[in-house]
Amino acid sequence: MDLVSNEEGRTEHFPVGMRVLAVDDNPTCLRKLEELLLRCKYHVTKTMESKKALELLREKSNMFDLVISDVEMPDTDGFKLLEIGLEMDLPVIMLSAHSDYDSVMKGIIHGACDYLVKPVGLKELRNIWQHVVKKNITTYKKNISPSPQLLTPSESHLAPSGSKKRKEKVNDSGGDEDESDREDEDGEGSEQDGDESSTRKKPRVVWSQELHQKFVNAVQQLGLDKAVPKKILDFMNIEGLTRENVASHLQKYRLYLKKIDESQHQNMTPDTFGTKDSSYFNMSQLDGLRDFTSTRQFPSSSLLSRSHLTRFHPSVYSSINLQGTNSSNFNNHQSSSNSANPFGTYHRTLFPRSQNVNLSPLEPLQFPTSKYMGDFKTIGDRATGGSFLDTRMSFGSSSTSLPSASSNNLMLQANYTQPLHIASDKNQPCHEANSSSLNMSVHGLPRFPSHSWQGSLRTTNRFPSSCLPINHVFSQDQVAYPGSGLGDCSSLVSAENPGGEMQCEPQLLGAFMNTLDDGPKWEEQNCNMVNNQFGNVEYPLAADNIVFRDNNASRSKGLDESLMMSPIEDSATTINNSQEYVGKFTMLDADQMKHSGKPENALVVENQHDVFDDIMNEMMKQDENNGLVSAVATRFGFDSFPPP
Amino acid sequence: MFLKGFLDNQFSELRKLQDEGTPDFVAEVVSLFFDDCAKLINNMSTSLERPENVDFKQVDSGVHQLKGSSSSVGARRVKNVCISFKECCDVQNREGCLRCLQQVDYEYKMLKTKLQDLFNLEQQILQAGGTIPQVDINETDTLLNFANVQG
Repeated sequence: MDLVSNEEGRTEHFPVGMRVLAVDDNPTCLRKLEELLLRCKYHVTKTMESKKALELLREKSNMFDLVISDVEMPDTDGFKLLEIGLEMDLPVIMLSAHSDYDSVMKGIIHGACDYLVKPVGLKELRNIWQHVVKKNITTYKKNISPSPQLLTPSESHLAPSGSKKRKEKVNDSGGDEDESDREDEDGEGSEQDGDESSTRKKPRVVWSQELHQKFVNAVQQLGLDKAVPKKILDFMNIEGLTRENVASHLQKYRLYLKKIDESQHQNMTPDTFGTKDSSYFNMSQLDGLRDFTSTRQFPSSSLLSRSHLTRFHPSVYSSINLQGTNSSNFNNHQSSSNSANPFGTYHRTLFPRSQNVNLSPLEPLQFPTSKYMGDFKTIGDRATGGSFLDTRMSFGSSSTSLPSASSNNLMLQANYTQPLHIASDKNQPCHEANSSSLNMSVHGLPRFPSHSWQGSLRTTNRFPSSCLPINHVFSQDQVAYPGSGLGDCSSLVSAENPGGEMQCEPQLLGAFMNTLDDGPKWEEQNCNMVNNQFGNVEYPLAADNIVFRDNNASRSKGLDESLMMSPIEDSATTINNSQEYVGKFTMLDADQMKHSGKPENALVVENQHDVFDDIMNEMMKQDENNGLVSAVATRFGFDSFPPP
Repeated sequence: MFLKGFLDNQFSELRKLQDEGTPDFVAEVVSLFFDDCAKLINNMSTSLERPENVDFKQVDSGVHQLKGSSSSVGARRVKNVCISFKECCDVQNREGCLRCLQQVDYEYKMLKTKLQDLFNLEQQILQAGGTIPQVDINETDTLLNFANVQG
């Protein structure tokens, strides 16, 4: 704790004594600012020259906790100071007399923690210490990816190397609640691989269910029209969460809602399998996905409940809960993939592992759509928050993503192979995913938006962190990777909705099964798929589609697209379109896979692919059966990979 | 009215920052402000001097500074002139700028005088053993009345 002794000798806690560097070329404003800061009990160093300020910053990197600087200064551009501050990982607050949109936008885009308009009041300055805490938390999280308690010895050395003081501050000054929150969301509990954190490029905000719920509450309270990131951020009052995180999440949320709207307009007669009803579709897809997942994970036939396949059932979720038992299962499964009920078979053979059959997520759904959404919600919450889930999106899309047999095969392959490629790193995340269940897969799951959810896919993609867990799962079970992907998802899902039966759409399963057959091919595809699917979240995943593609040009393409999270507009496209689209993506994926980009992406992709692939497979299958493949494909959210 | 309309609530905020630890805070800040005004007005006058070679960028910079400091201390009227001033500068209206410059000059000097009176008044009250009521700056007439009565 950063204790500061005041005159009486009493020690006071942060933010008292927080060291602020105030820069403003206007003497009147500077003097007033200084006094205001002193009134807030901060320690103030002021200067009118930005050159001097830069000097001070460079000399002693940890001399200050926060920088407040005017934007318009004659000798130096305030943004220069901002850059230096950011380099040193210091929160920088911009000050300006300009309150116009462009100026504020410019400031925020350049990375300012906050933008204050002159004249500044005491109230505004009283809370600036929060930016210091936020920064510290971010830094802390960056350095230590896995949740602290799960830090393995190899990783402990990666403990934040930042200013110890800052770290202490983080820990002491209320970062605790936040951290526990984050830990849950991280889903990286079991770091089996010390490389995990090192492969992370930057901290990701994991939109856990709780977090997303808060977000949704905030948005609802504020009113969607008036919900601006800053207000939402304040409303949520989560330490460590930045405005940017909220902003991107909000964007995804909006897209998601839009998708929901669109899909609702596209409702068709309900049908168990890929019905016209988009919601149903989603649900069934989800179910399919679940089944898929579960099958992967639970070799036991109980999970297979083929009967489930025939109906949209929350249980699908539970299937998803199946922890990635994969590898062994998968292998076995492959051989049996061609069974009539591929899915069922798959289940049976594929996942001998954990069996978290928590289909509960879907259960709460009142009606197909809502049901789905509900489940999704749980899943989504983990990754993207409940609201997202509501819109059948993740699952729906997942299911759609499940391509028809052939495509499924491809997908599966892709999924499965993916993990193989991503070794240790992935394992860990997967592991975490398993343990944290919801967190991981959720991320991946959102990727499978319902047909109407393309947008959501896109948004979900933005939650790369979540994807990672999925990937991890897969990696652990090399072979079972694909399953694990789903498994993770399912676990995530199931966690929310325990007890659902596993229901796999037979079609989906079939598709899946088919894909299973094709081992080697699969691998390739898996890789691609994984990359693609999840890549979207934070990184455009072009490759994803590849997995789907291989088999059914049309179907897989469609799925791929959705997986890819291509622009949302795809939802409206026909299968053909989507298919073509998909094809494109897949191609890219292959390349991507080969030259995997940033490890993060890979990780993300991996996880996502698996789950996504499964879902896609199922969906494809479903589509096929219902002739709605195209619909699915399109709706599946080809635009799932929105640009970040 | 003595000071009505000349100052806004930012001035009240300034006064709030003054306490036993910082007894001359307000005086310090406003004097900084007035010095700043004088300097900026001088620079802008130079820039606007020759019609064929007006550096509007410099004028704009000066206006911006002036607007910032006047809003910080609560010099309402000065700030309002700055808004018009900026508009003239944006369209590069030299005549308009000169008019605004004149107005700014007038306003800040007027404010300076009034504030000087106010501080003197407060000083007198304090010396007379009284206390200065923290009143709304726009109600300084009350203060004056009070002072008169006391006096």
